[in-house]
Amino acid sequence: MLEITSTPLVIMAILGTVGILLPIISIIRKEKGSNSFYAVIAFAALIVSVGYVGYQFINDNVAASALFSEDVIVNDAFGGFFAIAMLIVALFTTVGSFNYMRKHNSPAVYYSLILLATIGMVLVAYSTDLVMLFVAWELMSIPTYVLVGFMKKNPSSNEAALKYFLFGALSSAIIVYGISIAYGLTGSTNIGEVIQGYVTLDPSMIPLALLSVGMFIAGFGFKMGLVPFHQWLPDTYEGAPTPITALLAAATKKAGFAATIRVIVLGMVVLNLDWTLALGILAVMTMTIGNVAAIMQKNLTRMLAYSSIAHAGYILIGLAVAPHTPLGLQGSLYHIMNHAVMKGAAFIAIAGIVTTLAVTNLDKLQGLGRRMPITALGLVIALFALAGIPPLSGFWSKIMLFGSALDAGSVVWWAPWLAIAGVLNSALSLAYYGWITKKMYFEGETEKRVKEPKSIIAVMIFSIVFLIGFGVYPEPLIQFVEFATPTISSSLMP
Amino acid sequence: MTSELIDFTLVSVALLGIGIYGLAVKRNFIRMLFAIEIIINAANLNLVAFGRFLPHSGGQTLALFSIAIAAAEVAVGLSLIIVAYRMYQNVDIADFRSLKG
Repeated sequence: MLEITSTPLVIMAILGTVGILLPIISIIRKEKGSNSFYAVIAFAALIVSVGYVGYQFINDNVAASALFSEDVIVNDAFGGFFAIAMLIVALFTTVGSFNYMRKHNSPAVYYSLILLATIGMVLVAYSTDLVMLFVAWELMSIPTYVLVGFMKKNPSSNEAALKYFLFGALSSAIIVYGISIAYGLTGSTNIGEVIQGYVTLDPSMIPLALLSVGMFIAGFGFKMGLVPFHQWLPDTYEGAPTPITALLAAATKKAGFAATIRVIVLGMVVLNLDWTLALGILAVMTMTIGNVAAIMQKNLTRMLAYSSIAHAGYILIGLAVAPHTPLGLQGSLYHIMNHAVMKGAAFIAIAGIVTTLAVTNLDKLQGLGRRMPITALGLVIALFALAGIPPLSGFWSKIMLFGSALDAGSVVWWAPWLAIAGVLNSALSLAYYGWITKKMYFEGETEKRVKEPKSIIAVMIFSIVFLIGFGVYPEPLIQFVEFATPTISSSLMP
Repeated sequence: MTSELIDFTLVSVALLGIGIYGLAVKRNFIRMLFAIEIIINAANLNLVAFGRFLPHSGGQTLALFSIAIAAAEVAVGLSLIIVAYRMYQNVDIADFRSLKG
């Protein structure tokens, strides 16, 4: 049994209460504007949640990563790690929406939905039962459908929401079908028992087990933006309100990875099959197609949307080699945390640019370095970290990912190729990141400085400190990642 | 007993096929929504049928959850399409093409 003070329950209580109270408060107060009032309440709730997770970690109240449990949720370091990443992104989104949503109605509903979606993501990372996983998955998805289409008068927001909804609903339908097969084969919905059931499965039933794992990959892959399932992603990211794009790219995507690690990677080890090669091929396809498509974009949001597809590919390298080397999952988790901050910061910077200058077209970003110096600096640092330039935090996670692929080369012949593909892709991505930088700093002469929103500056400063700080001194983050990474070999036979 | 289970599973697979066909061929948003609902109900049928032959009620529980969640999802989907209909006077997703590249 979970204690009542365990992290997931407390986060659920805090964010759920505030999330439900916000619309009620707005009805009682009978006013429409006052965006900042609700933003501050949501911000406080998220800060308290992050603080609670951190407090539990500091006090050593968190169990080492378990992956299996008899309960539906488990209070372990793996979940806590993802909870911190997602809560940071939710904070970014809340702060970034401060100016962005000023002109829009019903702010209470907006912030309430962000909080509810955050609960869903956090619970996905904590859940060890397929029923809980599915419910949390939907709690994450349904509010984001609404948030993407939140600007009712804007056709592209609505179109983005419709596309996102169709693919999202399909992905959850596929996940339920996968769960139903797994339940039929093993007679349980607990992930540990399902995987144990797969070990002792009758050999004639193995194809069905593979079908269920394939359905999980497809279902989670829609949210992660893996390549055959990525068509909705650029459209949705471009049409959605930009802070919500940050939430989608940096947080719901990570929830997909959390679910994948909980369900698939371990199932993969147990089924003892060449799923690793399939994931490796998916990884290479995902990063190559993402980067190649990104180069051709004219719109900054869309370019970063494709770049976020490419990064799903990098993270997938770690999952593909996870059965062969412990570095694989560590690299994935490390890059997940870094990517959450980098992509979150980049999209919030774009939100700032949209709020003040109302442009996202690359040609109109000339001289941004002079017009909005701090936003531009934050954006450039985030982009360089995404590319993996050495003194920044993104470099170390990429090194760890590619190193894990090389490390697995002694077991499987194709693993080093993943590292080669990753390095080539990083070089390719540097081309368009560099191009954005050139536009912002070396073109345009006459632009004057404009006033930057304070909330955006706050996010930028946080991300710059995070990326440079953990880039120069990565030890604490690496230790945290090592603590949070489940060891596959010992948990293999529960 | 086992043959009974196979009947249920066959119906469920047929429903899954119908759902995927509907998603692949139809371009009307409401029809596509129905196709997704059919897939979810195929999964629910599976869950209830498997749960019938197991000593506990986990499958039925998940089916109940899934029905409730699908209802919430459809509510959101229909409200999105109502907003779209006010703008375009149309529910054909082939006409929603302002975002591309």
